[in-house]
Amino acid sequence: MRDHLRTASLLLTATLLAGGGALAADPGITDTEILIGDVEPLTGPPALLGVAASIGHKIAIAEANNAGGINGRKIKYVLEDDGYVTARTIQGAKKLIEVDKVFAMLGMSGSGQSIAVMPVLEKAGIPTVIDVAPVKLLWEPPRKNVFVVGQSYEEGIIHLVNYLAEKNPGKKWGLITQDDDYGITVRDGFDSVVKSKKLNVVYSGNYKKGQQDFSSDMLQLKDSGAEVFLAGGIIAENIAMMKELEKLNVKPVTGIFWPGRVEPVLKLMGPAGDGIFAVDYVEPFAGEAGKAFLEKAKPLVSEAEFKGINRYTMSGYAAAKVLIAAIERCGKQPTWACTIGELEKTKNVETGVMAPISFGPGIRFSNQKLQIMQADTATVSFKPVK
Amino acid sequence: MQYLLQLLISGLAIGAIYGLIAMGFAVIYKSTGLVNFAQGEMTMITAYIAWTISTTVSGNVVVVAFGAILAAILLGLVIERVVMRPMLGEPVFATVMVTIGLAVILRSAINFIWDAYPHGLDVGMGRDIVRLGGIGVRTGQIAVIATLLSLLAAIWAFFRYSKMGVAMRAVAADDRTALLMGISATRVHALAWAASSVIAGIGGVFFALSYDLSPAMFQLGLKAFPATILGGLDAVLGSGLGGLLIGITENLAGGYLGSGMKEIAGFAMIIVVLMIRPFGIFGERDIERV
Repeated sequence: MRDHLRTASLLLTATLLAGGGALAADPGITDTEILIGDVEPLTGPPALLGVAASIGHKIAIAEANNAGGINGRKIKYVLEDDGYVTARTIQGAKKLIEVDKVFAMLGMSGSGQSIAVMPVLEKAGIPTVIDVAPVKLLWEPPRKNVFVVGQSYEEGIIHLVNYLAEKNPGKKWGLITQDDDYGITVRDGFDSVVKSKKLNVVYSGNYKKGQQDFSSDMLQLKDSGAEVFLAGGIIAENIAMMKELEKLNVKPVTGIFWPGRVEPVLKLMGPAGDGIFAVDYVEPFAGEAGKAFLEKAKPLVSEAEFKGINRYTMSGYAAAKVLIAAIERCGKQPTWACTIGELEKTKNVETGVMAPISFGPGIRFSNQKLQIMQADTATVSFKPVK
Repeated sequence: MQYLLQLLISGLAIGAIYGLIAMGFAVIYKSTGLVNFAQGEMTMITAYIAWTISTTVSGNVVVVAFGAILAAILLGLVIERVVMRPMLGEPVFATVMVTIGLAVILRSAINFIWDAYPHGLDVGMGRDIVRLGGIGVRTGQIAVIATLLSLLAAIWAFFRYSKMGVAMRAVAADDRTALLMGISATRVHALAWAASSVIAGIGGVFFALSYDLSPAMFQLGLKAFPATILGGLDAVLGSGLGGLLIGITENLAGGYLGSGMKEIAGFAMIIVVLMIRPFGIFGERDIERV
């Protein structure tokens, strides 16, 4: 009897090993499909970035699927809405990993949300490429399975303030920031240049998140005599600030940060927004690369999605391209370990929407090259400054 | 002096918007005894509908205004009939929770029906800047102050002289006795919801005209609520004036004490006022707070 049991268990083990391809593989992969998950804010004001980023992921996925998929497997994109609520980001990520059993992750919502979800991603060990909100805590210390495409907020601000300081020597400066982690990062970057370049800051304001009326703040800015102004709002705040300045009949040299560098914002600012400077690591749509991207995207997304394209679509597209390329290099039987290894080997990958992307051993941040752009209200676009 | 005047005018302009929305809160409270936590969201929906009319039907100010008022009436009536009427007789706490749920649904509807981008409401007027002795003000801001003052007068007359106004006051005072007198409480409630939606909606449309339209606009409700508390939860006219007070206080605090003080000044003010007059500046003493 014992011999029969031993034989049966050996047979069972042999059967499992023989057919083991599917059973031993990491989750989210079948003979015909690879699942890629994403959590983004698809509702509420931050949907402006979440929806756009997800469209970028969809474009890269559609492009890959049209070309036959990843080594014959079609990519299926599973998207969760977190409404920009951290608890829901964690819940969404857990659902994608444990219930949907996705193979890899993209996006991961805003800065606070992606930081909060990090333990979940790290524990699961799932290959992840983050693209929406690059903040240092995501790559310092580096996590084995988490890669970040973009540039840090702090570096972006330093680059912009350095540029404006060089072009406007000896001028008086004004700054306003939001009272949250985003605002602190902007202020830290600004302060580091103030210190090194000994800038004369005559106005420094701090507004509460959600503030919609900036009349007294901009009046204070005007009263201070500031000639160069760093508008640390995100979207609607910068519009309100510029319109207030227009009302007050003042036009300082103004710099904004990339979260607000979207064309509809410029349209709403109207003449008040003409000539404002912005910093970014993705190409402007007014440039050749931007136009080529739009051409590529048009047949791959719906009309409504096409209208929702903004700079976050480009960063999402680049991240998805890098991830897809890494999975592809793993051949017919991709695993998490192989994908992570290939992501690490990513070297000068061209996406057409930003400078080539590279990671490396212990390097989980792509550290994209920054460029300065200037708003042109006549064409409602941002143009690169040469 | 010019600095102070600029702060006062800007404060009056944003305060008039708070005032209109605050009046919306008060109309519902006065007639139904309920605090509607979806007021900011209803304001936002009306403004978005006005924008849709301006971009799809006509940008003519009369068409947009007429369409927005009609839409606001419908919105108020539908909410009252479908969501609030089934809650009649239920505990106040449960009814208030329903308005909170409604707020979340309306907020999410923005992204489902429209999008997350900011939009400008263009009706061919309201955005021009007028300079009065060096003080810049948009024509839309002048218009909203004038509208608030006109509405204050109209509402005062309505509650004082019209049959329906008296009926609404009667229901607010004692709905059972009002019922015995032949007043239909449900009709009064429906009218209150429609009126509240229109008054607050006007505030929302003016906000979109002077500033812009975005899914964050519902937060106006959070700023207008202190105005209602300040003026008196049951005082429609007092709430309108409370809005002006909050707007001016905010701006003076922001202009003289610093940006950080702007958002808390209004709340600090209501704490002080409520310590002295717990029923608000213009409110009646005998009210049940939620």
